[in-house]
Amino acid sequence: MIASTLLVVILAQSATPDQWTMPAKDYSATRYSALAQINASNVRRLRATWSFSTGVLAGHEGQPLVVNQTMYVVTPYPNVLYAFDLTQEGYPLRWKYRPNVDAVAIGMACCDVVNRGAFFADGKIVYNLLDGHTVAIDAATGKQVWNTQVADIRQGESTPMAPLVVRDRVIVGTAGGEYGVRGWVKGLDLATGRILWTAYNAGPDAEVLARPETFKPFYDTGPSLGEKTWPPDGWKHGGAPVWGWLSYDPALDLFYYGTGNPAPYNAEQRPGDNKWATSVLARRPADGALVWAYQFTPADNWDYDSVQEMILADLKVKGRTRKVLVHFDKNGFAYTIDRATGEVLVAEPYVVVNWAKRVDLKTGRPEVDPAKLTGASRGSVKDICPTLEGGKNQQPAAYSPRTGLFYVPTNNMCMDYQTTPTTYIVGTPFIGLNAPYKPGPGGNLGALIAWNAAAGKQVWAIREKYPVWSGALATAGGLVFYGTLDGWFKAVDAKTGSALWKFKVGSGVVGNPITFTGPDGKQYLAVYAGIGGDWALLAGDVRSDDPADVRPPLSVMPDIARHTSLGGIVWLFAL
Amino acid sequence: MAVRVVAAAPLLALVVTSAQQPPPPSVRYEQHVFAGGNPPPAGTLENPLAGDKRAAADGEKLFSAFNCDGCHALGAVGGQGPSLADGRWRYGGADGAIFQSIYYGRPRGMPAFGGVLPPEAIWRLVTYLQTLTPATDPATVSW
Ligand code: HEC
Repeated sequence: MIASTLLVVILAQSATPDQWTMPAKDYSATRYSALAQINASNVRRLRATWSFSTGVLAGHEGQPLVVNQTMYVVTPYPNVLYAFDLTQEGYPLRWKYRPNVDAVAIGMACCDVVNRGAFFADGKIVYNLLDGHTVAIDAATGKQVWNTQVADIRQGESTPMAPLVVRDRVIVGTAGGEYGVRGWVKGLDLATGRILWTAYNAGPDAEVLARPETFKPFYDTGPSLGEKTWPPDGWKHGGAPVWGWLSYDPALDLFYYGTGNPAPYNAEQRPGDNKWATSVLARRPADGALVWAYQFTPADNWDYDSVQEMILADLKVKGRTRKVLVHFDKNGFAYTIDRATGEVLVAEPYVVVNWAKRVDLKTGRPEVDPAKLTGASRGSVKDICPTLEGGKNQQPAAYSPRTGLFYVPTNNMCMDYQTTPTTYIVGTPFIGLNAPYKPGPGGNLGALIAWNAAAGKQVWAIREKYPVWSGALATAGGLVFYGTLDGWFKAVDAKTGSALWKFKVGSGVVGNPITFTGPDGKQYLAVYAGIGGDWALLAGDVRSDDPADVRPPLSVMPDIARHTSLGGIVWLFAL
Repeated sequence: MAVRVVAAAPLLALVVTSAQQPPPPSVRYEQHVFAGGNPPPAGTLENPLAGDKRAAADGEKLFSAFNCDGCHALGAVGGQGPSLADGRWRYGGADGAIFQSIYYGRPRGMPAFGGVLPPEAIWRLVTYLQTLTPATDPATVSW
């Protein structure tokens, strides 16, 4: 059977620790590597062995891929794809692919012109161009195999997310929650790029692909929830975009993704729960059919997107081994959810939270503090924690099956929140918000924490001066790697969190570290330097490339520009 | 200019019509570069409302009503679009240059509002932006 051989190939591929073939290392999105050459006792000898300027200055989110002795790097807009030959000294390029990306996308990317990475499958590098195209590039030659327009940049749809490939299906989603898009995911044919299905996150059941025979949400009942939980037609410009990470369970044959905020920010313009914005959705890759969905923040009042990764693990929860997904939501709660059914098993705050007291596990709903509800008629609502940047934003956590712990980059900030009524104008922001940030309790703006998702408890925390905007990597060497906004790349002990090593990489780190084995048999680490990724957070006083754009520092980070400026660099480290 | 005073009600009317009118065409720039490479008469366009405080106040309202603030941030200090409050301009800060930026759009992500906003409204926006002179010289930052 072709299909089953393919599945074996895919599983084998993700199982080899020497390569890094998909954004989060494996389908479970663990960002865990079984490589152990670099470990707690020798990591102090880790040194930089190579670096390469991407020639692009925007925020370098995402991560490289390493396949067949080649390292693939996608830059932010204009989304150049580099293929480095790791078998030769200095790692010269095998080829470089330069797509023609519409510059209009610069205005349509709410939060810097980032790209979150590529996926290797069937000899192709598959990734998204910011202007709404998905491309497949021959990994050996750099020739474009196909290029499909999936999103309409003129409607405010843009595509910074990394695709997920399952068997012969490429799954992509659209950003644009700040532009009043109607969020969706699409399934493309891996061989041809043809769009085979489109599943909206809101609207009538038929377009959400919520069929009564397959769609069984754990908490909600009744037809057309994606339509009835909105004012008439509200879902048509209701946001619920997909700009984060996807994961996949081969045994259940379900893929998981989170949706972003409902639009506009003024909740009084969209009374109702606004399903399925700020939710996790489980779908079948073959036809996109919705199997279950759960909404983290009904009637979102705070821009608490839920696009963060869903990490799949088998955990012993209350004495029983459960197949779960673990999710650290922008809303500040960490959720441990039965990934077959959508039942919430654990929901505890992983950062300071005051908009809700707790999550009721019987109903799945948060107990909201009415004093923290927002809306145009309420003026500026003070001191809401966390901010709209989230307890954590898109920067992905890692899970080590060795320690059983999740390593989570977090923010520690609170905000005032004032919305104004807004008019929808196609291709312009549908926001209406003034939300100044302030440091959370303790004064540090971020931390890397270790989290026990079975118990819903923090195990240790490393306080950081700035929000931790990089992803995490856990290794069998007992290490956790992450980077900071002021440009440090760090290694800490996975059990204790004690600091072991750090190196200043030249610009703030908002990318995600990876590790692989080089042709010389040595273990390497790779990470991008290149601050950016959110204009609301980075006031832009870190930029020096434009004499005609001089911005004031952000009040919560008055001195970040003292420590870093823009700059995209790929770094490699080895012993 | 025909419209002198824009009070709250006409402002709202503008907003309402905008919802029905075609969107700002976010066209590729080459599509609105002018034939023969001749620049439009930007240099000679003068702001008929220059220095008019009420026009500037209307402009500030328009800046929110037409979602300029969604891209350039509140106070126009910069978001996905550049700062319009730093006294520095990519495409020039003369009356006509700012007008053209808004009317025709600019290649790196600035939508053309010419089809959405009448020239009078654009002049109000220009007048508002021209009031945003930086308080101090922003050239030097020291710690
Ligand atoms: C979709 C996002 C977006 C919206 C909405 C938007 N702008 Fe812009 N604007 C931009 C970007 C991006 C640029 C930079 C374009 C370039 O460099 O080519 C820009 C450039 C400009 C410039 C030229 C700046 C310079 O330095 O020369 C002006 C003036 C301007 N915008 C005014 C406005 C006004 C007024 C509005 C509302 C009517 C508006 N913009 C709405 C994104 C936007």
